[in-house]
Amino acid sequence: MSLDWVGLGILAAFVVLLLVFATLGRTLPATFRPLPAFEKLEAAIERAVEAGERVHVSLGTGSVIGPESAPAMAGLTVLSKVAAATVMSDRPVIATTADGAMAILAQDTLRTAHVRARAVDRYEPTSGRMLGATPYSYAAGVPVVLATEGVSVHVLNGSFGAEGALVADFGERRNAFVVGGSDDAHAQALLYATADHPLVGEEVFAGGAYLKAGIFHNASLRAQDVVRVLVVLAILIGTALRTLGIGL
Amino acid sequence: MKIGAWILWTAVAMAFGGVVLAGYFVDLPMLLELRLLFLRWAILLSAVALLLGILNLLAAHLHKVNTQEKGWPYSALLIIILLGTLVLGLVFGPDNRVVLSLFEYIQLPVEATLMALLAVSLAAAGVRMIARRRDVYSLIFIGTALLVLMGTAPWPFGGSGLSVTFGWMRNWLAQVWAAGAARGIVLGVALGAITTGLRVLLGADRPYGD
Repeated sequence: MSLDWVGLGILAAFVVLLLVFATLGRTLPATFRPLPAFEKLEAAIERAVEAGERVHVSLGTGSVIGPESAPAMAGLTVLSKVAAATVMSDRPVIATTADGAMAILAQDTLRTAHVRARAVDRYEPTSGRMLGATPYSYAAGVPVVLATEGVSVHVLNGSFGAEGALVADFGERRNAFVVGGSDDAHAQALLYATADHPLVGEEVFAGGAYLKAGIFHNASLRAQDVVRVLVVLAILIGTALRTLGIGL
Repeated sequence: MKIGAWILWTAVAMAFGGVVLAGYFVDLPMLLELRLLFLRWAILLSAVALLLGILNLLAAHLHKVNTQEKGWPYSALLIIILLGTLVLGLVFGPDNRVVLSLFEYIQLPVEATLMALLAVSLAAAGVRMIARRRDVYSLIFIGTALLVLMGTAPWPFGGSGLSVTFGWMRNWLAQVWAAGAARGIVLGVALGAITTGLRVLLGADRPYGD
């Protein structure tokens, strides 16, 4: 039996940092930099609820069984918070995805929000749905949802490829409030141009912390920052050593 | 849901996730076999979920047709084509020429059209971005995009000194600045993905509901 000590060490560091920051979260609250996309989202949701319009959360075109599931999991947290805010409105939030399993998770998230608000009779299973099984068939289904459901807030929080630009653009064409985030660097560049409020880099995972989803979400951002500084230091030290001709 | 139920789901998620994660770090044959077994189960469940997703899609569009909502004829068309493709696939098999033709002559052209539409959408989005967000970052974004376009696009009357200069600038931007920035983004995304996964493994996030 052999162990990957480096990998286990990094994993253990992450777990310890998460638990430490979650424990310290109440006594030493974190201060995060301004992130307009999520800060303006709350106001946009309030406006949509008052105007009788709908919020749409897109969980992307990635599958649950793959690395692209992580941004969609972060998107489920955003969906949970949006669902809590809109559950008693005339038009509760709807969520769409290109993966069947992710659609079931979206339905579970929406149902949980309804149960917590004691409004389970208002829950509709079709409010979490799969639009198409491939990225572009999903993108083709989005404008129909935006038009027929009267969407005015369009949140993209999941894994997208180039089709993410089209999905965001469909929202912009309806003058909706569009937040666009993906885990793919190329898609992020496209979303920067098409979405009014793009999420860059790891910001796609920050929704939970900015929407106050719990101390573990705040702890996650703090743990990421600490590990990022350590990684940057390791890169700089490695570069300096290689420049000096010292092999690692 | 009762209090005991979510504890059970969380324990199951943590146990299965923990075994799969441990399989990446501990080289133990039994653990590797368990990891592969769990992943095979996940693939099977994902296939069943796809079927449920399609049924859900069907239910949503049937509701639209029944209530004659705006755009219901499109929903009716979707239902007819969905069921037609399903019947053809079940009768002739997925490798049959008729079934493959549906993908070759309908699905692929439609998806290719959407990809082509993307180029037009991006050009329009660039113009819109200048109008809406007049900040330094947007100007840098547009300026860089124009430089890369000029360095990539063919120039009239063959190559010239200017085209060589733009080509060099394009390579410098793509290989130095863009590659470095992309690595930074990928690093940040990886850290975010790790913490998101750990939150699910620790039971702090429960995407399977309470």
